[in-house]
Amino acid sequence: MTDPTTGAAPSGAAPVASLAIATDGLTKRFRSGQVAVAGIDLHVPRGAVYGFIGPNGSGKTTTIRMLLGLVRPTSGRAFLLGGEMPGAGADVLPRVGALVEGPAFHPYLTGSANLARLDASDATADPRTARRRADEALDRVGLGAAAGKPYRQYSLGMKQRLGLAAALLRPRELLVLDEPTNGLDPQGTREVRNLVRELAENGTTVLVSSHLLAEIEQVCSHVGIMSGGHLLLQGDRAELVARGLPRLSVQTSPEHVGAAAEVLTGLGLTDLQTTGAGVSALLGAVPPEKVSAALVHAGVDLLGLEVRRPNLEQIFVELTGEGFDVAR
Amino acid sequence: MTHSGAMTESRRPAASPTRRALSSPRTRWAVPVVAAVAVGLAFAAPPLFASADDAGLPTISPEELAAQVASAEPSPLSGTVVYTARLGLPELPFGDVGGANPVALLGGSSTMRVWSDGGDRSRVALLGATSEFSVVQDGPEAWTYSSTDDAVVHYSLDAADAARYDELTAQAEAGDLPVQGDLPTPEEAGRQAVGMARLSSTVTLDAQTEVAGRPAYQLVVTPTSDTTLVGRIVVAVDAETSTPLRVQVWAASDTKTPALEIGFTDVSFATPADSVLAFSAPAGASTREVVVPLPDVPEDAAATASDGSAKDLPEGVTVTGTGWDAVVEASGLDVAALVAGDPSAAASLPGVDKTFGSQGAADLYSEFVPEEGSGSPMGDLDTTALYDTLTTEVPEGRLLSSALLSVLVTDDGRVLVGAVPGATLQALAAR
Amino acid sequence: MSLVETATPVARPLRGSLLRLVRSELRLVLGRRRNLVLLLGLALVPLLLGTVLFLSQDTALDGQGPGFVGRVTGNGLFLVVASLFLCLPFLLPLTIGIASGDAIAGEASAGTLRYLLTVPVARGRLLAVKAVGALTFAAAAVAAIAIVGIVAGAAFFGLRGITLLSGTTVPLGDGILRIAAVVVYVGLSMTGLVAVGLFFSTLTEVPVGAMAATVVTAIVCGVLDQLPQLATIAPALLTHHWLDFAEFLRLEPDWGVLGQGLALQAAWVAIFGALAWSRFTTADVSS
Repeated sequence: MTDPTTGAAPSGAAPVASLAIATDGLTKRFRSGQVAVAGIDLHVPRGAVYGFIGPNGSGKTTTIRMLLGLVRPTSGRAFLLGGEMPGAGADVLPRVGALVEGPAFHPYLTGSANLARLDASDATADPRTARRRADEALDRVGLGAAAGKPYRQYSLGMKQRLGLAAALLRPRELLVLDEPTNGLDPQGTREVRNLVRELAENGTTVLVSSHLLAEIEQVCSHVGIMSGGHLLLQGDRAELVARGLPRLSVQTSPEHVGAAAEVLTGLGLTDLQTTGAGVSALLGAVPPEKVSAALVHAGVDLLGLEVRRPNLEQIFVELTGEGFDVAR
Repeated sequence: MTHSGAMTESRRPAASPTRRALSSPRTRWAVPVVAAVAVGLAFAAPPLFASADDAGLPTISPEELAAQVASAEPSPLSGTVVYTARLGLPELPFGDVGGANPVALLGGSSTMRVWSDGGDRSRVALLGATSEFSVVQDGPEAWTYSSTDDAVVHYSLDAADAARYDELTAQAEAGDLPVQGDLPTPEEAGRQAVGMARLSSTVTLDAQTEVAGRPAYQLVVTPTSDTTLVGRIVVAVDAETSTPLRVQVWAASDTKTPALEIGFTDVSFATPADSVLAFSAPAGASTREVVVPLPDVPEDAAATASDGSAKDLPEGVTVTGTGWDAVVEASGLDVAALVAGDPSAAASLPGVDKTFGSQGAADLYSEFVPEEGSGSPMGDLDTTALYDTLTTEVPEGRLLSSALLSVLVTDDGRVLVGAVPGATLQALAAR
Repeated sequence: MSLVETATPVARPLRGSLLRLVRSELRLVLGRRRNLVLLLGLALVPLLLGTVLFLSQDTALDGQGPGFVGRVTGNGLFLVVASLFLCLPFLLPLTIGIASGDAIAGEASAGTLRYLLTVPVARGRLLAVKAVGALTFAAAAVAAIAIVGIVAGAAFFGLRGITLLSGTTVPLGDGILRIAAVVVYVGLSMTGLVAVGLFFSTLTEVPVGAMAATVVTAIVCGVLDQLPQLATIAPALLTHHWLDFAEFLRLEPDWGVLGQGLALQAAWVAIFGALAWSRFTTADVSS
């Protein structure tokens, strides 16, 4: 399944053909020397809703710009719908709807005039259906009533919706949505989630980036986590969560904390963290019941024992040592 | 702290080198470089090709060439003439502000358009960026027209002279014309230069060249005297029509660039349209009438015209020395009137036009000056200031030194002119 | 190769799609209020000049003025030439510099550039369309002066056969043709500036910077052209042949000189067009 001459298909994963987006060692070093994206291998299967998550400044947008052919990679390759970017852009981009780093339109044109301008730029779009398609897209994002208003009078949420409408001007195989919920109220955020879900049900692949994991976690089938230009983790969401390293915490009386820690260390548990009322450590391959037995055997006053699998956010915090929304 | 090994592991592929090369930024930046080189070549190529110096013309001796030039019938022509003077004069206190202005001929570069029917009808236009100074000669009449101030000066003969003019033209089909309205042209300057070859000079041929796209011989007239300011005069002569196409006057002091150069950049030997050679004052233009007396033309004018020494001299004018070293001395001149722009004063300097290298340039000055006196044209140009700028104070009076010519105006009213260093004039004046 | 096999039917560019984009661009350029105000400003020049000359017609100032201004009261046709002459050193380069400097940089600063490119519009094609837009605006700028000039000139002073710089008077029909040729030549003289503007426009996301650089280029060329010390490079300066429109007002226009003027513009267009293309097709769009 791997073609050694092109090297396009990374080993151990699905072939590029079945991937809507595939990158291979994709790297961008800016002229200032700053490495925005450090050799990432992104794999977005067809039909997936891929949550591309990371704090602001982690390299998500630069990656998306490279995927869309806006920015030239320093090294590595990027494939979009099987075509290598930026060369294949003319062939594949008409099948890709994109919202990149917020909406941007001519402020003095109306919403529908802005869509007409974008549609007129598309050499493969049929001018006879342009108006109908624009109206449909506007209705779909709930902007039908404001179509005739100049863009500069739009609220932040309306601007975001117009951006989505532009991405939906034509049926797309792939949608790349960079922070689509930015500026939207909770209701709008919910609508975007529903829209994404609906599109995905019709077979559209969606790459949706966000710095707010909670906003998109529930619609994602796949997740990739970016931090500092590196793709720390990616894969099927359920698998990832299942693979999260479980942590065992022991609650005991303060005078037994030291003894409990000794027992855990003795069993080979790592990353010990002691508090006044207990100690926790990564469980690793050790069965929890073995731990409890050892603790009891050692005479530790066992007040409570808990094994917790982290959710995505905790995995992220574990991986980066930081919370979200932290610019680096 | 680990990557999820299996899912992100991959190998870095070797990119297809050709595909990369074609779309690489470096290749694309070669395009403007190629464009710049192509543009550079396109603009530089014509002169490169034109400099092929052997035009493959039949060989000819300098004497034959000089004779051909002297005997060639003036032919109808039209073309563009560029005149460049590097006389080493002080910067003149005016720019191109006033538009086409004959004084510009004293320094820098000027472009003119000339049309001539080969006889007594011609038009010369001195071009400014958005203006023109035209001199039109139509038989016994001449006009100048300045577009800057929409002013016409009409030169004509009185009835008696007009009759005599017709008679003269009938006699000598075309010769030296009594009404000189011309701006300098290479043709005229070239004929004069060849005429000067008779004055103690050696005449040689230089490499064949191309002027205004036409193959040409180059006749070099070198003064035998080593005291004159003139180093040599190079005349490019059209191989086909023997018409001088370019004249370069080289100063003895500068062997890199000619001090005076006048040449066609574009020439055609077709007869110009009648509308070009005719002139009538446009409606609304201010017109000044000038009646010019027709000078007595000696019977043998044609024979003596170019032979400086054998000329009848007007009263008060003496010539010292011969050939290139000749110094013309005029006494009893009212220099103040000359400076203020009295045309008769300017006209009483017969030596100037000969030694100046171009009859027309000197004529032009006299033509221009009376207009100046009348106050209206070239507005703020002060001839006295111009005089002060061009000359320097010396014990004998004021001296004008240029690369080719020196003029000494003494305090006692004498004017000495010669193609010799200023010191020579001063020595003569002190005698 | 599995990469290509799976590609679903590739959408082919439709016939007339380029024209559609050009129309859209022209609507954008000519429909924009700022650009209309600029055109209006230029159109005011002949109107104001005509009014001033009309009011001062019978005073001592009549027939005075630089260039062709002094001739306007005698013939309304010269209002066109005089207005162009007055606008050439600054106003026309300013207007055209604004429009062409804005071409790419304006889209970049608004962020719309990234959306155009992901539509996708090929970068070379977008640059060409932007060039068409900027050139059309330049033509509109010159035309605004010319049309208002001839209308105002006819209304204030009447039109008659023109007296050429050479002193010859040609009939009205010939005169109008010559004035039209002047207008066309001035318009073509702006093409080099448009190319310069496009190039600067690809360098920056700050439209004002590109505009200023373009206008400064024109003005610096104009100033350098005046210096006798730089006479050797003068023929290569952008503005060197701008005033050669006067050839059409001479007895026999020298087509060689006019050809040099157009060749110079073509050279600037070739070099700066190629620079703009190289820059724009290789630059990272990070706005």
